[in-house]
Amino acid sequence: MHAVRGLPLATLVLLLPIPIAAQWLDYPAAGVPARADGSPDLTAQAPRASDGKPDFSGIWRPERNQRCPPDGCPDNQMSEQFLDFGWGMPSGLPYQPWAAALVKDRAARAGKEDPTSSCFPGGIVRLHTYPTMNKIVQTPSLIVILSERETTYRQIFLDGRPLPADPLPTWKGYSVGRWDGDTLVVESTGFRDEGIWLDRKGSPLTEAARIIERFRRVNVGRMEVQITVNDPKAYTAPFTVTLNEYLVTRGDLLDFICLEERAEIPGTNPR
Amino acid sequence: MHTAVRRTLFASLSLLMTVGVARAHHSFAAEYDVRRPVTFSGRVTSVRWINPHVRFSLDVADPAGVVTNWQFEMGAVNGLLRRGWSRDLLKVGDTVTVDGYLAREVMHLANARVITLSNGRQMSGGTMPDPEK
Repeated sequence: MHAVRGLPLATLVLLLPIPIAAQWLDYPAAGVPARADGSPDLTAQAPRASDGKPDFSGIWRPERNQRCPPDGCPDNQMSEQFLDFGWGMPSGLPYQPWAAALVKDRAARAGKEDPTSSCFPGGIVRLHTYPTMNKIVQTPSLIVILSERETTYRQIFLDGRPLPADPLPTWKGYSVGRWDGDTLVVESTGFRDEGIWLDRKGSPLTEAARIIERFRRVNVGRMEVQITVNDPKAYTAPFTVTLNEYLVTRGDLLDFICLEERAEIPGTNPR
Repeated sequence: MHTAVRRTLFASLSLLMTVGVARAHHSFAAEYDVRRPVTFSGRVTSVRWINPHVRFSLDVADPAGVVTNWQFEMGAVNGLLRRGWSRDLLKVGDTVTVDGYLAREVMHLANARVITLSNGRQMSGGTMPDPEK
């Protein structure tokens, strides 16, 4: 009965004119406070969810701190940590000898074997550095991160479950989170032994890795993510990298099926 | 035919080499040679709005009138849309000029850095070379 009554309404909705901005390229994000002149107040206090916890909901992009070529900064500037996750560390990442040799080799070939170049996922570290957007959907018991580049999801469970004891290794691993005051602390394990690079130069991640991310929403416009990688198989010591991510105040995620080119253009089938 | 190869004859000659494999969403340096900038003008013969790189092709005539079809690669669909591109800006039959960089291995392929549309409007191709090390 409800379905029958709903039909005329559905038909009416379909007949409504389609807005010009069909992909919401410029659609304003909800809940962003405005200054007197109408511009978004990005330094305002970070919002809180209905359960009183800091609310990370929204679309986020990595910091663009890449050095620019002499003729100026082009429009798809990336983060230095995308290219080298140890950027800014005096001695770089503390590679085990085999990992150092591997990275040297991969870097010499300009990262040509980067798995993301073949449309594979980048793993949870590169989720924070790849120069595309992620959308965070937050509930009290689960946070979901939607990756535009990968067209994948990442789940962070806040329901108190433990990490799996002997997990099947995956690209994103398994993530559980808890609140430490206003900081969301996420612990992850269960990564694949091969195929996950931390950066374009090819810093590896192995099955031995344990990653801790500390998410802190500094204000409306900025989130700080402190990432500690403890992977004794590939690195001689744990290391921590702090990244900034910025709220996207207009727009939304767009479709991004990386395999389209490979399917359509002969010769682009990698390897 | 008023299309012209401006400063790139050396390029087409030197590209009579191996046909390589273009990879999907790759490092710029792995695919393109920043030391080999090129400029082409020609008639658009195809435009494909696909990820991770929008692609189009031009029929480019050399001074002797020999026409070669060149493929060009831009950035990803989402990035181009966000910087003001729309599907109707570049259409089959338009005459455009492309400034870019030659592919290292693939014949008749270049990265499109700046596209000058038939109405004179210049659009970024949405890619950038890796920074100087």
